[in-house]
Amino acid sequence: MNTAALLGPYHPDRVLAWENGHSITYGHFLSEVGALADLLPEKPTVINLADDRYRFLVGFAAALVRGQTTLLPPSRAPGALAQIAREYGTSYCLVDGTEKVEQLPSYQIPKGTWSPTYTAKVPQIPIDHPAVVAFTSGSTGSPHPNSKTWGSLVAVARSTGTRLGLKTSEHMTVVATVPHQHMYGLEASIMLPIQHGMAFHVGRPLFPEDVRLALAEVPSPRMLVTTPLHIKACVTASSRLPHVECILSATAPLPSSLAKQAETLFQTSVYEVYGFTEAGSLATRRTIAGDTWHVLDGITLRQESDRCYLQAPYLVEPVPFPDLVSLQGPHRFVLHGRGTDLVNIGGHRGSLSDLNQKLNEIEGVQDGVFFLPDETGTSVTRLIAFVVAPGKAAEHILSALRKVIDPALLPRPLHLVANLPRNETGKLTREALLGLLQELRIQDRHGA
Amino acid sequence: MSDVSPLEAEVAKLIVRTLNLKVEPAQIQPEQPLFNEGLGLDSIDALELSLAISEFYGYQIRSDDPETVATFASLRSLCKSIEKNRTK
Repeated sequence: MNTAALLGPYHPDRVLAWENGHSITYGHFLSEVGALADLLPEKPTVINLADDRYRFLVGFAAALVRGQTTLLPPSRAPGALAQIAREYGTSYCLVDGTEKVEQLPSYQIPKGTWSPTYTAKVPQIPIDHPAVVAFTSGSTGSPHPNSKTWGSLVAVARSTGTRLGLKTSEHMTVVATVPHQHMYGLEASIMLPIQHGMAFHVGRPLFPEDVRLALAEVPSPRMLVTTPLHIKACVTASSRLPHVECILSATAPLPSSLAKQAETLFQTSVYEVYGFTEAGSLATRRTIAGDTWHVLDGITLRQESDRCYLQAPYLVEPVPFPDLVSLQGPHRFVLHGRGTDLVNIGGHRGSLSDLNQKLNEIEGVQDGVFFLPDETGTSVTRLIAFVVAPGKAAEHILSALRKVIDPALLPRPLHLVANLPRNETGKLTREALLGLLQELRIQDRHGA
Repeated sequence: MSDVSPLEAEVAKLIVRTLNLKVEPAQIQPEQPLFNEGLGLDSIDALELSLAISEFYGYQIRSDDPETVATFASLRSLCKSIEKNRTK
């Protein structure tokens, strides 16, 4: 059986995690993993809701040791969790706080109660073991599961590290503003560190001042794993960040001008990672160097009629790009935009057809559609919804939506209308919706 | 609306302008929750709002400050924190 080690280089005394200035070593970590693995119930799948990055990793690793699969819910909306719980009814939850999922048994990840034995061996995990299942919002309304083998997670982590020139001897520490329960966060703030003997900060800073303090809590050299939104916040606030060797950005395209500002202000190099759930991280670029993305080692691209596919040793079959790309040979490409069904609101992704289906399932809604207006100004552009629901208040529909979709994707605003401007074939064109929006704005002005 | 302080009226305007909300500033009740069920703000808004507040009042909001959760509870609590921490 082919296996890959849970950890890259293993030095028991080396620091793995920083929590409020206290360090947790790799040796301590392995003892905790061993102890927790013995306590886990005999179930195939687990939803790990731990907020603390280290607690999450202990739970994730213990599940791997026990041959279990960690489910990564698409969001923390109660409805989204309940749906996963229904579809994976034999699951349990791992938590480090008070959160729970209805209908599933919950177990606390114990906090630092194990004394390190240092005799622990690094667990070997079968490379074809389904380590995680990440969910994408499909057009069908129910989240589509994407199983990731342990081998694929390790391969992506190693090739990303090679691309970034990470050296184990440097012992870099990652501070991440992204959640570890999403693919990018899992790859860049959990897998990348543990496969390269690196450390990470257990927290998830949000505000620029949080980012500064988290970076100041960990020793140099540092890496900041983040998103365009947080980079913009730190640049706008002219934060005086402690020195970071490099900034890694993903979830949405980073404007080159912003990357340049960040490089100058923080005296660092800004790299972007491109990926999508079906394939994981697959390419990087130094944003200021140009538009071209370079695929990670082992990945090849090919064009087939009007679609692009990528192939990698750890992918069962070629995976089509959801975005519009043009190839520059088998290892490079340029991104031209997102597919029309996919939206990305400040890094929170969704499918318009999925959102529309959820909207139309709400009691009292006769017709409804989500719409992403053109980008304006500097703030994050939000979705709008037009809804036909006689006798219902917008707040009623919003609170129903809040239960089933990611809060960042909630319509702002939700317009109640008499009917939708469907054409003779029943289609809603972007032009018609823009016209409707314009009409509502004129009415608004007259009403005010 | 006589119970709205001048600062509260000013910050309400800042919130509406910064976040492109479709409400009149005067419609934001001082004690109404800003996040989730109330005005429906989320962490993206919190980040954008924190930048505007730091620009206008010189107050750098932090989430490890035990007061932060309370700070963002409502317009009134936000204004209390701004009053206490503002540098301009």
